[in-house]
Amino acid sequence: MGNNHNIYKPLRAELVEVIEESPTIKSFVLKPEKEFTFATGQFIELTLNGTGEAPFTPSSSPLVKDRIEITIMKAGYVTEKIHGLKPGEIMGIRGPYGRGYPLDELFGKEILILGGGCGFAPLRSLLYNLEAEKDKIEKVTFCYGSKNPAECIYKPYIENLRQTEKFEVYRTVDVADEAWAEEVGVATVLLDKVEVNIDKSVAVVCGPPVMMKFGVMKLLEMGYAETQIYLSMEKNMSCGLGKCGHCMMGEHFVCKDGPVFRYDEIKDQPDIWK
Amino acid sequence: MERMSAVSVTDWQVALLQLAKSFSFYAPVSFNGSMDYDLIDDENAGSIIYNHPKPSTPLKTFFLPVRENVTSEAERKKQTVVMGAPACDLAALDMLDEMYLGRDFTDIYYKARRENSFIIGYECNSMAENCHCTSCGINPFPEKHSDLSLVKIDGRVFLDAVTQKGKDLLKFIGEHAVIEQANETEAKRIQEKRETLKEELGRANNRLPGYEESGKLLEKTNGAIWEKYSEKCVSCGACATICPTCTCFLLIDRPGFEKIRQMDACQYPGFERVAAGEDPLGELPVRFRNRYYCKYVWRPMKFKSIACTGCGRCIDTCIGKISKNELLEELYANKK
Repeated sequence: MGNNHNIYKPLRAELVEVIEESPTIKSFVLKPEKEFTFATGQFIELTLNGTGEAPFTPSSSPLVKDRIEITIMKAGYVTEKIHGLKPGEIMGIRGPYGRGYPLDELFGKEILILGGGCGFAPLRSLLYNLEAEKDKIEKVTFCYGSKNPAECIYKPYIENLRQTEKFEVYRTVDVADEAWAEEVGVATVLLDKVEVNIDKSVAVVCGPPVMMKFGVMKLLEMGYAETQIYLSMEKNMSCGLGKCGHCMMGEHFVCKDGPVFRYDEIKDQPDIWK
Repeated sequence: MERMSAVSVTDWQVALLQLAKSFSFYAPVSFNGSMDYDLIDDENAGSIIYNHPKPSTPLKTFFLPVRENVTSEAERKKQTVVMGAPACDLAALDMLDEMYLGRDFTDIYYKARRENSFIIGYECNSMAENCHCTSCGINPFPEKHSDLSLVKIDGRVFLDAVTQKGKDLLKFIGEHAVIEQANETEAKRIQEKRETLKEELGRANNRLPGYEESGKLLEKTNGAIWEKYSEKCVSCGACATICPTCTCFLLIDRPGFEKIRQMDACQYPGFERVAAGEDPLGELPVRFRNRYYCKYVWRPMKFKSIACTGCGRCIDTCIGKISKNELLEELYANKK
């Protein structure tokens, strides 16, 4: 990157499709004006012209270069406005930023992935990447929890994944309806179901802070070492460059040193679950 | 040390007016009992204050304006001369340069301003309330980032050109003033003043732990001390705004995909709040503690530069009259 490149200027991207994933979550398919590459787990800053900018980890495959999909939960001012967008809107993207999932550390392992709610978004990107590299992994056990059946996102993708060799899927909801035939309870209950050889395993966790906290506690209890657990941290990443300070977590700039951290790197920081 | 150049006060006044004509020339003048930088012209050139610490505004404001459009072209304006930066503010440029010029990318706006400016650093002839540069390992005279260093003693102005920019500036001054060399007595006098002030600063802060020691002490703190000292904090953010090394900012979006960078402070509520409502710094004592940890514990882990240069402005400016030094002194005393 040249010294005179202006890093604050977003690349234009056209919104080509909006997919309703749940009553509160939508996916936005963007076509960047030029090829845009990222590593799975890295995040981008998405600009809604004149309104604001917010960090999101793409939910699409890093192997696809001409489209990028961002899955967004309606949670605040900017995300609410984004939810109102129609295809044709021109948006801005900056990035990619930070350190993504450590694929090299996952290869050769039994990968246990624990996701909750909209935390499935970055994990889907990882799952796509792992599917493409199936030869290099032992197996993937994906545990996913959401509030209720309506809030379970990526339903068609889940069905495909269930048919994919080396991939297992477990799902739970906090509150079930009559049609729900899978588990009921918080996401961590799924960890009692799974069969993994912990010595050969690595765990990846992404979800709401409270789920991540109890998820990590449970994994440690199961016998995972702190160095076998990876977390995607969600903080208020704003500049993406380790400058603005909004995402500091102890000495770390989450936007630059993360957003994916190995648990032992951050466990002593105050307030990581907030 | 190479002998300093010397100019008579009468000649200096002539050169000064020429500097003010040719550059955007800023120097400290008095404002209602305090002192701050002002744009110098024929009117106020006579009321410039010399070698007295410390301008109310830190030097950083010349390079990091409060608000700036960071998507427009970096403007090339008239060259700026900032005269009167004390050693604490000069040393703070280490952190600013590391942040905005070093590491992963170069901030073109900061870079343009740095390149477009000449800095005339001041030796401090006295200390002001809450000055504690020496506790941070900084001497009260320019040792870095000053192009030309200046001290005015007994009717003569002494100048030391440190950089090429400083030499250019001295050459410009030489076109309007007779430049001599400081004699041995004068050089000795300057040296003695430095030593005397260093001793005075050391005495005034003899209960204050050094920079590194402060970090070690802070790491061992519990909630009680933060509850106690944050009691009078109103989250106004003045401490960060006035700090020569605080660099945090906010990006504001404007139509046309424009972005405005506005200086920000971790002491403002909601600084780290995310969309879903989680807020790591939501509680006042935690937010208050953040600034101390950032300065003394966390920045040293990631940066080569120090994040407190002992200017004491955060204490000068606090409307709750909270003293950072009092807190550090309390930790230090309890350790012993």
